[in-house]
Amino acid sequence: MNVRNSIFAALIFMALLMAFIPADTILKFKLSPDRMLAEVREDMYMIHPDQVADMIIAKDPSLQLIDLRTPEEYAKFHLEGAYNIPLSRILDKDNLPVFNQDIRVNVLYTNGSTDAQAGWMLLRQLGFKNNYVLQGGLNYWTETILNPEKPSDLQADDEIARYDFRKGASQHFGGAPAPSSSDAAGTAPKPIIKQKKKKAPQGGC
Amino acid sequence: MNPYIAGILLGLVLIASFFVSGRGLGASGAMKSSVVAVVNTVAPDYAAQDAFYSKYVQNGQKPLKAWLVFEVLGVLIGGFLSGAVSGRLKLGIEKGPRITDRRRLILALAGGLLFGFGSQLGRGCTSGSALTGMAILSSAGFLSMMAIFGTGFAVAYFFRKNWI
Amino acid sequence: MGPLAPLEIISGDWNLFLALIIGIAFGFVLEQAGFSSTRKLAGVFYGYDMVVLKVFFTAAVTGMLGLLYLSLFGWIDLNLTYVNPLYLGSTIAGGVIMGVGFIVGGFCPGTSVCAAAIGKIDAMVFVGGIFLGVFLFAELYPLIESFYMSGYLGSPKVFQSLGIRMGVFALLLTLVAVIMFIVAEKVEKFVNKGA
Repeated sequence: MNVRNSIFAALIFMALLMAFIPADTILKFKLSPDRMLAEVREDMYMIHPDQVADMIIAKDPSLQLIDLRTPEEYAKFHLEGAYNIPLSRILDKDNLPVFNQDIRVNVLYTNGSTDAQAGWMLLRQLGFKNNYVLQGGLNYWTETILNPEKPSDLQADDEIARYDFRKGASQHFGGAPAPSSSDAAGTAPKPIIKQKKKKAPQGGC
Repeated sequence: MNPYIAGILLGLVLIASFFVSGRGLGASGAMKSSVVAVVNTVAPDYAAQDAFYSKYVQNGQKPLKAWLVFEVLGVLIGGFLSGAVSGRLKLGIEKGPRITDRRRLILALAGGLLFGFGSQLGRGCTSGSALTGMAILSSAGFLSMMAIFGTGFAVAYFFRKNWI
Repeated sequence: MGPLAPLEIISGDWNLFLALIIGIAFGFVLEQAGFSSTRKLAGVFYGYDMVVLKVFFTAAVTGMLGLLYLSLFGWIDLNLTYVNPLYLGSTIAGGVIMGVGFIVGGFCPGTSVCAAAIGKIDAMVFVGGIFLGVFLFAELYPLIESFYMSGYLGSPKVFQSLGIRMGVFALLLTLVAVIMFIVAEKVEKFVNKGA
């Protein structure tokens, strides 16, 4: 009888503790792979350079650029107002509050977009929202904003409008030369995401 | 063995199962795999185009190379070992005091048939759906458990002659 | 950090091998608990032996708490664990049929394998019945398919369906289980004194 009672007591005690710990603390891993794949495929986490340029010029206060490259690369060139948090330090205790908030829109970038995407996935796994990836990274930024391609005269009006915008933005940003593409996916407008395939567990019958 | 201790040990095995494979325990799935394997061996073309069997044999899958098949083989071995160390190995038929051996075997066959059918319909049996489902807190698991035990209690009266 | 196989920390073949080991532990515990005896199993429905209730719910509660604590310590990612899907019609119907099967046959698939392993012929016949039942289902599948696939509600967690917090549900389940155990023991005493 004593064994039985101590087992009952132990189980109730452990359950009692669980009742008082918030679910967020118990479930450390916020996003299932299926959900993450859905978000990746929707591409909603990417921001086009046009949009970012617009926000910078308009001095949009919600924008926060985050440069995930090394301090050396950051020193050589970085986008206006960007913080430098190297990818290797993205999970540091001091840096997490930057990503875990819902006031500012963090746009992560690197030279291409592979590392920025990796950074986004890490943060998304932790359940953080409000973090986005600069589509195509600095390489694409250079192509579109700093050295915009002049459309042919036969192009549609919106193409020309976009070109004008980019030319103006280019002036603003000083049309600086492109940094080296140290991480892949460089110039393609729709970068291909290399996602680590996690096999979902089989189960049931 | 004290049932509560047995329960804790069973719970630990369940946790180990999740930790290793991401899934809980089960049993009926192995029987399903065996049936599929037999049908596939005897009539592979039929299996390949049938709505039920084809799911398990497409792309050259081996239906017997399934997690549950290995697990159930283990149950066979574990049960035997336990019976061996506890002196419970004995060939025979166990039944309620008021019925014959023959009746018991017929009932066993019928019960197995119902369970085979029901476990496929319910996508799991007491181990796979109810027990595992409750540990992982799935609604299907709890519903399954309530349906199985609820029905058992409901019809127990009509079958009491077989047991008591 | 787990679960090992979905995270590819162990290979598929190791996973199968460990399935065997886990199965051995499963079978051993089941048999030690007395679940290789059909009369003990049926006892929960008649009150003379409540071992099924005690073992089953203790295991469920232990498993539940264990998984939650493992997740709390960061040792398992519960997102990667399999949650069985809910198809309203077939889950309930299947459960009802299995309930009848339990009373008629006195076993469930796991325990029947266990009992067969120690020489119970009725258990072996039960296992044979399972094969037939699966085969019957497979052959009747075209007729059953639409019902089988109906009422799909995803893979909800029970506390979500009930709209209460996870930790609170865990506590409630544990308390309910302990109360059931105490009641079950009283029932056992009562039934066995009378009979």
